[in-house]
Amino acid sequence: MSRIKEIAVTGGKGGTGKSTATILLAKKFFQAGKKVLVVDADVECPNDYLLLNQSLSTVVEKAYAQFPTLDKEKCRQCGLCTEACPNNAIFQAPGEYPVFNYDLCDGCGTCWNVCPYGAIIPKKKEIGKIYKNDIKEGFSLITGAAKPILEETSPVVQKAREVARAYAQEKGFDLILIDTAPGTHCSVIRALMNTDLVYAVTEPTPMGAYDLDLILDLVKKLDLKAEVVLNKAGVGKREKIEKVVRDYKLKITEEIPYSKKLAELYSRNKLSEFKY
Amino acid sequence: MVKKIAISSGKGGVGKSMLTANLALFFAQKYNIVAVDSDVDAPNLSLWLGEENKWSDKETISTKKKPQVHNDKCDDRCSKCPEQCQFKAMSWENNELKVNRFLCEGCGACQYFCPDGVIEMKPVNNGEIKIKTTQKGFPLVVGQLFPGETGSGEVVTKVKEKGSELLAEEDDLMLIDSSPGTGCSVIAALRDVDFVVLITEPTPSAYEDLRKVLEVVDHFNIPFGVVINKADLNSKLTTKIKKDYQDNFLGKIGYEEKVYELVSNFQPIFESDLEIKKDIKNIFNQITNKLWSDPKRKEK
Repeated sequence: MSRIKEIAVTGGKGGTGKSTATILLAKKFFQAGKKVLVVDADVECPNDYLLLNQSLSTVVEKAYAQFPTLDKEKCRQCGLCTEACPNNAIFQAPGEYPVFNYDLCDGCGTCWNVCPYGAIIPKKKEIGKIYKNDIKEGFSLITGAAKPILEETSPVVQKAREVARAYAQEKGFDLILIDTAPGTHCSVIRALMNTDLVYAVTEPTPMGAYDLDLILDLVKKLDLKAEVVLNKAGVGKREKIEKVVRDYKLKITEEIPYSKKLAELYSRNKLSEFKY
Repeated sequence: MVKKIAISSGKGGVGKSMLTANLALFFAQKYNIVAVDSDVDAPNLSLWLGEENKWSDKETISTKKKPQVHNDKCDDRCSKCPEQCQFKAMSWENNELKVNRFLCEGCGACQYFCPDGVIEMKPVNNGEIKIKTTQKGFPLVVGQLFPGETGSGEVVTKVKEKGSELLAEEDDLMLIDSSPGTGCSVIAALRDVDFVVLITEPTPSAYEDLRKVLEVVDHFNIPFGVVINKADLNSKLTTKIKKDYQDNFLGKIGYEEKVYELVSNFQPIFESDLEIKKDIKNIFNQITNKLWSDPKRKEK
């Protein structure tokens, strides 16, 4: 079976309308007869379910990370793990057992691999949940939701994408649309990697232009194809956006007009009533 | 002690930088302040302050190391490094070891386990700190994570340290504009502050994300206040948010389309005669009351 096309919707700046554009684009593809699976990969603050009037109730899978735990019966307090830990996350007083500082630990596994006695056991810890909402026949949503106070959220993004790919294959979806977090950090990178096309959503303000430059730089480094979606078209000044788009030899392929009506519909979860 | 106030929101684009900039301008009238942009993925505070993109100081920083592979030294092809990598960032390609730098966390486990010294952990420049004195005379310190690099949390910590160096006096104030979300850079921004201003808007998304970021705020047990931006978009939800957080409510800001024109012309709201300037001044007064309950507080 051929790989299902994956399109990411991103934008650098927060609040430029990534989720709005994702939903409007999903509807557009759906109305054109495509079976669309939306993935909300803004795992720290997933909102697509709200915009689609859904609730997060069906957990289809969980995301885990591995962290070290100590089997005191096996540990001989040799200190190898403490010495080896690249994050200084293991503390060991002389003649005592090593203690793990989980705030500093990134689960790299050096300690359990270095331990000659098998005394450090990697233990799975839940870091997030993956939810599924079947909205209409041929229109579904997969949501990744990270646990609060989780530093490293990209494994939850990874898991959401894996779940989505499997579900899309199983149900014969034509297209996966991935809504990313704002910014350019790890979890955004993880949402963009290996996608077939990236829509960068921006707004005609100096902030929109500055952040568009950053996200397009990232997209270029990831060697991905990109198109630009201009949201809130009609307010501010678009010259700066057009310059950034030109600099990257790209095109603005969609425009969503600025409208207080849209903002109001958004605030009432009635985005689907908006026509543009 | 210098007081640190962070502005955060969970959801992006609800007005963090707008509020930080204009609060900074109000605070600067009475106090020694430094404004810190710790939204290192998308730093926009300078634009809301109406400041040009010119800096008196720029410093490249390195908070991460990434592996460099010397394939010529790899004799026995033992494959310990790709097997060891928990982040699946190493693989064989055409009989050569390759590192996917976008997946690599820079932990150095590969180097640790290599018996032949094939892997060298090299510092990478993952961001920069930019400093300038604003038109109003207070310092602005901006952190920037280079696109494609990792380690935003560490860059945030660095930029805050830089900001601290510029302030020393009692009652000096640091205003910190945080990233959206609840992950590492937000945790690093909020971790040691004295007060958090949480800005939201009356939309179900922003309201939900406010609750998410509050889990971080509560985790660190930081006093907080809530501001509702674009309050007239949905008066019913505004009333609900106000009621939910009545003990922490700082004020609301009206919906104002002209903001886009102002910011496009590099004009801060503080310099305008818009109605929302009064809204922000009211919020400024509320925060001052909460921070310095002592009426004899020291002013500049």
